[in-house]
Amino acid sequence: MARGLPVPSVDGMTQTNPPVLSIRAATKTYGTATAQVTALDSVSVDIDAGRFTAIMGPSGSGKTTLMNLAAGLDDPTSGEVWLDQHPLHSLTDEERTVLRRTHVGFVFQAYNLVPTLTAYENVVLPFDLAGRRLSSEDRAWVDRLMTELGLEGRRDHRPSELSGGQQQRVAIARALSSRPRIVIADEPTGNLDTRSSREVLDLLRSAVDDYGQAIAMVSHDPVAASYADRILLIADGRIVGDHERCTPEEIATLLIGLEVGAA
Amino acid sequence: MKASLVFGSQRQLTTIAVVAGICGAYASLLVMLSDVLATNSDASGFGAILAVVAMVFIGVALYVSSVVIVNCVDTVLTGMMTRIALLRLLGASATALRSAVTRRTTAVAAAGSLAGVAVGTVAASVLRITMVEHGALRRMGYPVVSIWLVAPFLAVVLTTFAAGRVGARGVLRVPPAAGMLGAATGHVVTTTPPVRARLSTAVIGTGAAVLLVSAWIGEDGGTALGLLVAFFGAAALGSGLLYGARLVIPAVVAGLGRLLGDSAPSRIARRNAVTNPLRTTRSTMGLVIGVTLVTTFASGADALRRSVDSWTTSEANRRDALSVLTTMTTILVVVIVFSAVIAAVGFVSTMSLTVIERTREIGVLRALGFTGTQVRQMIVREAMALACSAIAFGIALGLLLGSVGAQSIVGSHNHGFVWGRPWLVLGTIVVAAAALVMIASLAPARRAIRVSPVEALRTA
Repeated sequence: MARGLPVPSVDGMTQTNPPVLSIRAATKTYGTATAQVTALDSVSVDIDAGRFTAIMGPSGSGKTTLMNLAAGLDDPTSGEVWLDQHPLHSLTDEERTVLRRTHVGFVFQAYNLVPTLTAYENVVLPFDLAGRRLSSEDRAWVDRLMTELGLEGRRDHRPSELSGGQQQRVAIARALSSRPRIVIADEPTGNLDTRSSREVLDLLRSAVDDYGQAIAMVSHDPVAASYADRILLIADGRIVGDHERCTPEEIATLLIGLEVGAA
Repeated sequence: MKASLVFGSQRQLTTIAVVAGICGAYASLLVMLSDVLATNSDASGFGAILAVVAMVFIGVALYVSSVVIVNCVDTVLTGMMTRIALLRLLGASATALRSAVTRRTTAVAAAGSLAGVAVGTVAASVLRITMVEHGALRRMGYPVVSIWLVAPFLAVVLTTFAAGRVGARGVLRVPPAAGMLGAATGHVVTTTPPVRARLSTAVIGTGAAVLLVSAWIGEDGGTALGLLVAFFGAAALGSGLLYGARLVIPAVVAGLGRLLGDSAPSRIARRNAVTNPLRTTRSTMGLVIGVTLVTTFASGADALRRSVDSWTTSEANRRDALSVLTTMTTILVVVIVFSAVIAAVGFVSTMSLTVIERTREIGVLRALGFTGTQVRQMIVREAMALACSAIAFGIALGLLLGSVGAQSIVGSHNHGFVWGRPWLVLGTIVVAAAALVMIASLAPARRAIRVSPVEALRTA
């Protein structure tokens, strides 16, 4: 796959450490001319390597659309999306699929494990999809993930035999197993109880701290966002705030500010 | 309760109409033809024998149809659990829902069956006129319709009514709260009572033993007795396999599915093929029955032909025997192949419905990096695992039953056991199997490739 030219940074400065994801003037509209909905309105943003970024905003603000564009699941109507310096916006579906397979890990609200595969088979699915045999190094990495995520005794269990928290841990192991450039997590704690939520967030946090994993997480839970290094606020398809690490209380205040501002 | 509340569109019930139509056409064709042949024949008992033979074949077709319809209703309803749960949440009672489903399936089947009976009756007339023109039948007054045509119509309607009730049993298990989750809850785990396993094993064992006895009788020189014993042995073996089908067929599919290899698409295809053992069984049982019967007749006739060939008898005698054999086999195979056709229609419909059910899963796989080609491979391989296992099993069983049947008649005249090897029929079955896999996976694969991960994931 051809690597593109270096992407100009948002502030026009040349960067020493290129961002894992660069979105430039991305606009996404749905519907026809008469009933057009603008989900994203000329958004430009960089997501840094090795950091935990939370994307927050009210329902319908465009945060999921932003993540879908970032993952190459959807096309921008106009604008550019660069993933690890590959121009997602100009690749074919097949090329994007292969790039997604190697560069992106997913964690979904509804876990989305393949029901017919065991926990271990789900975790190594990215390798299987690429038709890649696990090297001894890969195997050691997967084993380490399984152990650290507390899944050792659950290797051969089907998703239906696991609790919600366990299923989400399998999903995290699957997202990390192929060492993607970025993990995209869409409301990863949305279906979990408080204890399982905290476990999942701790795991995501330590993936960033211990392995330098880049994570972009969509959430509207202030507690979840307080685990992130950076908080992007999005409303009506635009980025309206960009903050460094905050407490849950500060985040809640920011969110309330958004709602009041809109009224 | 209005049935339209439960079913989204009529399209989902097309299979039921088609199956009822084919079954009705087939049954009325057989009824009319046996009527014509009985009128043509001078012997008084001939009509009664023909009627009995026709009833056996119609019975087989009805059985296969009912299995297909049960599966179709069950599959359609499984795909609509969310909607049904929502109706339950809003206050619909489970029994009212179930009877709405049954009423709709019965009405659709009645319409299909009526059209089928009309087509079958016309086809019988066309066939009769052609045969008279060619001098195969005497020129005389034949009946155009028969009061007995009511029987196939009613039989199809009653069968669908019963099948609809069995298929809609799932409705009773939907908890209303599932309507709030907005997603179908996990798979229904069906456990097989150990009684079924033991009983079916016993019946299969008995059947096999009786078949051995019949082969021994044949070797000892008995003819009519040997065939009768072989018939009962085969009937016992077949009944045992039918009764224990949900144990046997998934095991066969899982075993032969391993031949697909161990890539990700193959592995998921193989597992999907047996996720729901009951559905696996129902969608392939008809194929097994049809292929077994066709192969049994063809291989039995072939074994007899090989035996006749090896005998020292006059050329004229031999030619006569072979000609009777060929005519008999052709008629039997043509008559029985309809059940296989009905089963194939059911198989195609189940494949496409289960793929619709898995839209979300396919969306996830696409998001994780399954290419369009891999999705297509996955679906084609699932169809292969199911259809090829069923057909291979049917062929093996048919070869065994047919050859044993021949042995029970003419065993004493042969050296050792003669296997019937009807290459032409086997070749045709293999070609038909390939066509079936292609037809059954074409539309679902195309639809699956079009699944947008974003759309699939949004319907959380």
